[in-house]
Amino acid sequence: MRLGGSDPHTLAGAYAMDAVPEADRSRFERHLARCESCRQEVRGLREATAALAGVTAVRPPPALRDAVLHAAGRTRQMPPTLAPTPVAWAPARRRRPGWRPRLAVALAGTLAAVAVAAGLVTYGMQGRLDQARHRDHMVAAVLSASDATMASRHVSTGGTATVVMSHRERALVFTAADLHVLPTGESYELWLISPAGTRPAGMIDGAGHGKMIGPMVVSGLAAGDSVGLTVEPTSGSPRPTSPPLMLINL
Amino acid sequence: MTEGQRRSPGGPSGRPGQPPAGAGRRHARSGPGPDQLGALLGRVARGDQDAYAAVYDRTAGQVLGLVRSIVRDPAQSEEVTQEVLLDVWRSASRFDAELGSAAAWVMTLAHRRAVDRVRSEQKAAERELRVASSAIAYDEVAEAVEARLDRERVRRCLGTLTELQRESVTLAYYGGYTYREVAGLLGVAIGTVKTRMRDGLIRLRDCLGVDL
Repeated sequence: MRLGGSDPHTLAGAYAMDAVPEADRSRFERHLARCESCRQEVRGLREATAALAGVTAVRPPPALRDAVLHAAGRTRQMPPTLAPTPVAWAPARRRRPGWRPRLAVALAGTLAAVAVAAGLVTYGMQGRLDQARHRDHMVAAVLSASDATMASRHVSTGGTATVVMSHRERALVFTAADLHVLPTGESYELWLISPAGTRPAGMIDGAGHGKMIGPMVVSGLAAGDSVGLTVEPTSGSPRPTSPPLMLINL
Repeated sequence: MTEGQRRSPGGPSGRPGQPPAGAGRRHARSGPGPDQLGALLGRVARGDQDAYAAVYDRTAGQVLGLVRSIVRDPAQSEEVTQEVLLDVWRSASRFDAELGSAAAWVMTLAHRRAVDRVRSEQKAAERELRVASSAIAYDEVAEAVEARLDRERVRRCLGTLTELQRESVTLAYYGGYTYREVAGLLGVAIGTVKTRMRDGLIRLRDCLGVDL
């Protein structure tokens, strides 16, 4: 694989320091998934950067300690399940011998979850089968696109959002898990954000809150778009009325 | 830069086995003994709040220091630090000792969060300006870092890097710049910067004797 016409291995250093722009990052992560020696190298380089971090240590204000410990006491922890995490720390569970921390596998896991969710959703929606079929078709098209990339972000109020996107299909598949449950009258709304403006990309049905949400297909993707998530009145808003809880540059 | 004894902000100096809060991996070569921070994380994963307080005490100083070197704004830095440390609480179960040390795991979370903050949409335009006005940014970063490079071993190891390697690593890690931005700042080809970052980190890793 070639990135910008050069040997991808040279990106290991930049990657270990998060110095790889978003677009190259996912491509390099796909390379990492196939390259054990590269993962090994990135791990070693990250240990070196941790030493670099040591020299900038400062004494944190005492109030920060109280705030953090207090907040932790009120924050639910993630269960030790498989979820998309940074490649170098993709989980290797002992219960699953033979598991290797590969993005490809993580992606496959997500796809399987999406497929299961799609199946369940389809099962419960006999009346809207055509619509569901169309949606499933779109989901499959995005997931199987040769340029499909995956990104996962924490939602600041809790939960994780995962996007698989394809510029070729001009579409993305959105899923989320463990989102904070909103009060009645409020819903999550998805947005496509570009320098040219912000377009609503769909309301997220409230039924699944706290569990897996999606897959939702968002089409009409353009170069330079970011996808964002906000809380809006359930009726939807023409433009965001609150700061994004999660933002992914596509 | 001051030579000699360093007044540690975090704790009593010279007491063996009691590194000051936020001390770096000064003894990366001290062997494959149990990673205490890793063991604490194991307890945190099971919801142990005392263990979490201990993790906080061992990492908060480093996290805040690193975040501040990238984000700069003190209020935002504390905010990001809080997010990072809450991430540690929430995702402790995802830490896997086979994939690296606990310290590296925490600092990777911190660096990523800090970088995400400065690269977010709102900051993009402003950063482009900063990159365009090149030299100043490097001096700022370098100065801030130099002033704090009083950890002998890391400083010595950084000293073994070529100037271009050191500048590339410093700007990327402490400045939070992408390799493209670093290339712009240094007026060097992108390919050269990528290579220097990797070679520089490899040299640093070998000099620090990171075991992996």
